[in-house]
Amino acid sequence: MGAAEQGDGAATEALFETLYRELHRVAKWELARQGGPASVSPTTLLHEAYLAMSSRGDPSFPDQARFMGYAARVMRRLIIDHARERQARKRGGLFEIISLDGKDAANAVDPLELTEVNQALDELESVEPALAEIVDLKFFCGLSFGEIAALRLVSERTVQRNWERARIYLHRKLRTDLSE
Amino acid sequence: MSTLTPDQWRDLTPHLNQALDMGVEERAAWLTSLRGQNPSLASQLESLLAEYSDLARQGFLEKGPTALDDDPGLAGQVIGPYTLLSSIGHGGMGTVWLAERTDGRFERRVAVKFLNIALVGRGGGNRFKREGSILGRLAHPHIAELLDAGESESGSPYLVLEYVDGNHIDRYCDEHSLDVEARIRLFLDVAGAVAHAHANLIVHRDLKPSNVLVSKDGEVKLLDFGIAKLLEGEGPDGAATALTVQAGRAMTPEYAAPEQVTGGLVTTSTDVYSLGVLLYLLLAGQHPSGKGTHSPAELMKAIVDTEARRLSDMVTAADGDGETATTNANRRTTTPDRLRRLLRGDLDTIVAKALKKDPRERYSSVTGLADDLTRYLKHEPIRARPDTVAYRARKFVRRNRTAAVLAALVVLATVAGAAGTWVQARTARSQRDFAFRQLENSEAVNDLNSFLLSDAAPSGKPFTVNELLERAHQIVERQHGNDASKVQLLISIGEQYNTQDEDAKARPVMEEAYKISRGLADRSTRAKASCALGNLIGRADDPNRAEALIQEGLRELPNEAQYALDRVSCLLHGSGVARNAGEVQQGIARVQEAQRSLSQAPFDPQMRKLRVFMDLAEAYREAGQLPAAIGAFEQASKQLTELGRDNTETAGTLYNNWGLALIQIGRPLEAEWLLRRAMYISSADQSEKGVSPMLLSNYASNQDDLAHLDEAAGFADRALAGARKAGDEVVVTQVLLTRARIYRHQHDASRGLATLDEVEPRLRKDLPPGHFAFGSLLSERALLELERGDVPAATRLVNEAVDIVETATKAGKAGRNFLPTLYQRRATVELQAGSLDAAATDSSLALDLLRKDIPPPTLSAKSGRGYLLLARILKAQGKDDEARTAGRSAVEHLQGQLGPDHPDTISARQLAGLVLSAQ
Repeated sequence: MGAAEQGDGAATEALFETLYRELHRVAKWELARQGGPASVSPTTLLHEAYLAMSSRGDPSFPDQARFMGYAARVMRRLIIDHARERQARKRGGLFEIISLDGKDAANAVDPLELTEVNQALDELESVEPALAEIVDLKFFCGLSFGEIAALRLVSERTVQRNWERARIYLHRKLRTDLSE
Repeated sequence: MSTLTPDQWRDLTPHLNQALDMGVEERAAWLTSLRGQNPSLASQLESLLAEYSDLARQGFLEKGPTALDDDPGLAGQVIGPYTLLSSIGHGGMGTVWLAERTDGRFERRVAVKFLNIALVGRGGGNRFKREGSILGRLAHPHIAELLDAGESESGSPYLVLEYVDGNHIDRYCDEHSLDVEARIRLFLDVAGAVAHAHANLIVHRDLKPSNVLVSKDGEVKLLDFGIAKLLEGEGPDGAATALTVQAGRAMTPEYAAPEQVTGGLVTTSTDVYSLGVLLYLLLAGQHPSGKGTHSPAELMKAIVDTEARRLSDMVTAADGDGETATTNANRRTTTPDRLRRLLRGDLDTIVAKALKKDPRERYSSVTGLADDLTRYLKHEPIRARPDTVAYRARKFVRRNRTAAVLAALVVLATVAGAAGTWVQARTARSQRDFAFRQLENSEAVNDLNSFLLSDAAPSGKPFTVNELLERAHQIVERQHGNDASKVQLLISIGEQYNTQDEDAKARPVMEEAYKISRGLADRSTRAKASCALGNLIGRADDPNRAEALIQEGLRELPNEAQYALDRVSCLLHGSGVARNAGEVQQGIARVQEAQRSLSQAPFDPQMRKLRVFMDLAEAYREAGQLPAAIGAFEQASKQLTELGRDNTETAGTLYNNWGLALIQIGRPLEAEWLLRRAMYISSADQSEKGVSPMLLSNYASNQDDLAHLDEAAGFADRALAGARKAGDEVVVTQVLLTRARIYRHQHDASRGLATLDEVEPRLRKDLPPGHFAFGSLLSERALLELERGDVPAATRLVNEAVDIVETATKAGKAGRNFLPTLYQRRATVELQAGSLDAAATDSSLALDLLRKDIPPPTLSAKSGRGYLLLARILKAQGKDDEARTAGRSAVEHLQGQLGPDHPDTISARQLAGLVLSAQ
């Protein structure tokens, strides 16, 4: 993590790969555990991955907050890849990543739209990284404001306010891109 | 519309923050004044805020991405008269599918809900159908109709429900900015539906916003009526089985009533409570236990002990957070102050009465709750009376009632990764096992868990199991008198240390429990304490004291049904003690007696049964009674599957030990599969990281057996590296021996011999002279010399080996199980040396011994190789007919156990004359 934080490209890439594999592994593990089409929420994935990595004494992450922040970004990629893959194959795929409250599935987000959100997020990340992280944690990983606040050691209201600002930024970005 | 530059964004940020913190009216006034001072800033902000109200209306990014699509196996599948279309969701209990009728009777879209089979348990399918048909009669406009229930061909129980396209009630209210009165009217529809179900004697048990949907036209529909009950176990004594505790996961803690958490009686009052929580949420915008992150432990404590904050206080209290208050009030088209005044008084009283901890103090029926709300809407006086200050104070000092928090919560915290609690331990899986172990003893579950989860758990901080145990120990020391419950708690703590391999910490706790128990009269407690201590000591240094403690414990327990389970656990401890002391037969006898005691138990304790089978299997294996061991492993595995624990650490251990027994009995193909499963369970990612070197070594040996030499060499090398890194000397020695054998099969005698040179000093260090392992070492060396072509050296070494092992077994020491292999090895050397008669004698002797260990008709590669060797010798003697007969026996054994393509099977087939030798 030390190297990754200092922007060491190779280390960041390696860490990203590690986390990506880890999350994927946990998802597959859930698949085996449930003995059928697995449904696993991103929150569960994150938590399980964290437990697995910390119990292995993986030195990459000194604390949970940094792990979550980083893993949330990886989760975004995983979800987008997964959505694309599903789109591409129409059916198949080893596991599904579901929303926390189940019933929303009918409003599944279009992979194309996800890709756009992803690009807008990359831009937001360069302008105000903290906001992008909140979106990753909330939108892609399903964490609540309270959980994010606890991770970031800030008040829930601050998280909420930042979330609203992030939404404004992304919304504007998406609309601008569309109208161009 | 233009993109903002990063600089613009940064400049706008403080103003935007300020604006977002204001209510609608306040914001408008603020913008007006800003326009006067800084028109360009004001217009930029205005455009962003307009965007904000736009995106809020659309619910932009409010729903997380769901990568749900068609599911591999299920889409298009026909379930009864329905065809599955697409997966539409997932809940704690299983997956939900959108489906349509295909028999053309009428067109209707339905939701098919598959229940997680592990939650339903054995025979659940039938019960499901039965109860489902009762629920099916529950016709009410506000209850989603249950159309059908049954079991799919693959055995998953399913429900077919009316498909409701709607939104959760709380979101619906917020999105439509319903005011308090409109919210109450909507809630009354919900209450009406619940009352109808109660009139039909059906309790919902899991009322929460996601089960209460509102369609676009504002119609309320309740989902999942009575499903929580369908998931309940049917233990004859009502004791929580692992399955019901698992089912507890389906229950949503946030909306659970105290009696659901403490394991009390669930009645219609339980639904009154959950409705109270729902009403609280709809009116105040917050959960009664306040906002923020709750660990399951905190939440449980709040549900059982903490009186909910007054509804009206919650509006503005919000922990000093005026912004949330404003948002919540705005969503109810009012201001925080007005909302507080609105809720104060009657609504406070009504909600408080629904949320009483004691079910008897709640509204006696949902109708009572609904009536009071109706009176409120009509401005009539309500029936419920507010709490007096004195009453509240009395409540405050009332004894802490957190008595029995179900282990489901530990499962929740670790398996489901529930928000807020982070339990760190050596592995996530050991956590899982830790949780399940709690279930083995219901008292221990209740008592220890209530400590671990409510009192000992440091709130909001990561903690380890050891820290938790230490705190629990301290609390037990401080708070308890010297009674049976203290002893029980100390034993539970000690046992948890024990399973964490912290014997040094377990010892003083167990000694203390034992000491206190001597002053008690209760037989069961006395016996538990002495057997638990005996077990612990038996693992360490003092077999005599351990045995004495076990016998002392057993003497306490008369052979009566009420002590049956205590006897079982004492006997299992006793079996371990005996086996550690080398008393293998006594070890077996005690487990068998435990098995008999178990059958006398007043109910069917599943976990205990599993332990008995596992212990029995190990005892048999250690005693070399392999067929019996394998039978017991099979039983244990069946039990494990029934408990839904196929992927726990316990399962990994079982598969490894079972695999070993199969290797020993000569069924490597079956062993291969089990060892792979064990490795899969313990693999930390898709690689072998996390798999114990011991297991890798077993697998290497197995692969060698199957003539997969490259595979075997690879695994052996990695096992060796792993064992060296971990400093596990025993495994290092074991792998080196395996590696030498692999070198021999690879025809690399010099490396094989070099490897054995490394083993020898290791054995000398650890084993007494004359131990049969030296015979094993020498005979391996003999075969390597033979490979090198040095027949005289081979002969000398193998004779020396036989001397050592025969001397050891005659002296009553271990080595008997190795004799067949050893005689076969000598026969192999003798065959090469041309001593055909001696070879024939040795190989027959080996076969006789094998028949005792592995009685026919059990097929075994060991027996098969014995016949193969005999066939070779007979052929060398020119006895072609007899050689063919032996060859055929060899084929019979080897074909199935090693596979038709194994070199040994092919040789056997040739000797049997089944193929031409020329081929």
